[in-house]
Amino acid sequence: MATWTWFHRLASPPHVYAFARRWTPWFGGFAALAMCAALFGGLVLAPADYQQKDAFRMVYVHAPTAWLSLMIYTTMAVAAAVGLIWRMKVAHAAAAACAPVGAWFTVAALGTGMLWGKPMWGAYWVWDPRLTAELVLLFLYFGYMGLRAGIEDPVKADKASAVLAVVGVINVPIIKFSVEWWNSLHQVATVMQMGKPKMDFDMLWPLLLMFLAFASYFITVLLIRLRAELLRRERNASWIREVLA
Amino acid sequence: MSEFFDMGGYGKYLWPAFALGFGIVVLNVVLALNSLSSAKQDARRRMEMSQ
Amino acid sequence: MKTLVTRSTALAAARLVAVRDLRLAFHKPSQVIQPLMFFMIVATLFPLTLTPEMSRLRDAAPGVLWIGALLSSLLALEFLFRDDAVDGTLEQFALSGQSLTWMLFAKTCTHWMLTGLPLALSAPIAAAALGVSAGAMGGVVASLALGSFAMSLVGAIGAGLTLGARRGGVLLSLLTLPLAVPILIFGARATQLAISGGDIAPPMYLLGAIAVLGLTLAPLAAAAAVRIGLE
Repeated sequence: MATWTWFHRLASPPHVYAFARRWTPWFGGFAALAMCAALFGGLVLAPADYQQKDAFRMVYVHAPTAWLSLMIYTTMAVAAAVGLIWRMKVAHAAAAACAPVGAWFTVAALGTGMLWGKPMWGAYWVWDPRLTAELVLLFLYFGYMGLRAGIEDPVKADKASAVLAVVGVINVPIIKFSVEWWNSLHQVATVMQMGKPKMDFDMLWPLLLMFLAFASYFITVLLIRLRAELLRRERNASWIREVLA
Repeated sequence: MSEFFDMGGYGKYLWPAFALGFGIVVLNVVLALNSLSSAKQDARRRMEMSQ
Repeated sequence: MKTLVTRSTALAAARLVAVRDLRLAFHKPSQVIQPLMFFMIVATLFPLTLTPEMSRLRDAAPGVLWIGALLSSLLALEFLFRDDAVDGTLEQFALSGQSLTWMLFAKTCTHWMLTGLPLALSAPIAAAALGVSAGAMGGVVASLALGSFAMSLVGAIGAGLTLGARRGGVLLSLLTLPLAVPILIFGARATQLAISGGDIAPPMYLLGAIAVLGLTLAPLAAAAAVRIGLE
């Protein structure tokens, strides 16, 4: 059946490698162009905000990086779960590829957030639920990478870190919904609310484009790292011979 | 032009924020490509040794 | 192949494991006393380094008690599975055909009875040294007891994951910390309210909810982790 061959291809390292190699330039090219367009739209075209004036423009770097930190962890946890349930090596390789990127973007989210918080709230850091949970996310990424590094047997390392990734995924909804559940200094979502978005269209389109750009960018980086992981894991498999020629 | 850099007085926060964010964007591309090339090198070395 | 495991045999196996752990602990009292002593020492170090002023110490007391409890339980988590993993007992548990989840839950409970519970019960001594009034002791003990129970549950996951790892101790702390943060936040809040004479019910309910969540999910995750480590 067509779906079964598709699933089989997904589990086969040489197929995934070829797929990754072919699509990387497309996702990468789109990401680069979209980022430039979104930057221009956000920094130049969009009008200044009524309350935050020009400071609001930091949303164009802070929101995508924060969203990416969550999206990458979720991807990592899903890949880990798939690897555990269906015992797919490729899934474990994908999870491993996600981790360092996710950690970097958590740092980016925290850093850009601090730079936005200082002029807006007067403090670089507050111990409010969303910021605290985002910091916990960084610790989870470090724990994941540390666990992988600490276990010698690669199969065990895959499985143990997969369990950790799945257990830790509970932090993602906490980060997402903490601003609604508790009194938080961090502002509630202005874009993705039920019904019409609250943002002016001129401010909104660069943000949406930036999200799209970052998503495409993540896929690019993931595909590159996944290729590297597959090469390292497959040791002396014959398909590697052809790929390197 | 200078008011573009000033960003209504918020420039000294805004530009470092963009530098940080997009610096990490670029960094991760570089790190990923490095990882791939070193994996390829290792694989080549392994193939030579096994032949 | 899964054998038919009725709930009664799972509980019976769990009870056997619990009794065994308690008996063994009698022969190795150091494993119980050391974490407790560590907690006491940490609690006394803070007044020495911070300030001898009682009112300021009382403000810092929730943080001091909870950090002491956290560090002490990280120390104690080392020996949750280690001895049994080393001598092969854990493998026997996994192969026995009985529910590993229930057996690990039993081990976690006895572990708490030997570490977290004594810590909570002796916390009044440390708390008194930090200027906490006698009337607040009930709330202090209750919050630390419930919080340390949740800590043991969550820590069991990390302990299971780090069974096969080098330098497992450091890694265990790194893994347990993110999962322990909510326990720390609500537990410290409950203790703080107890000390200042407020109503501890809201944070205690949240702490209880975390404990219940941990109760249902943590032994499962720990069993999965142990199975992976034993392969």
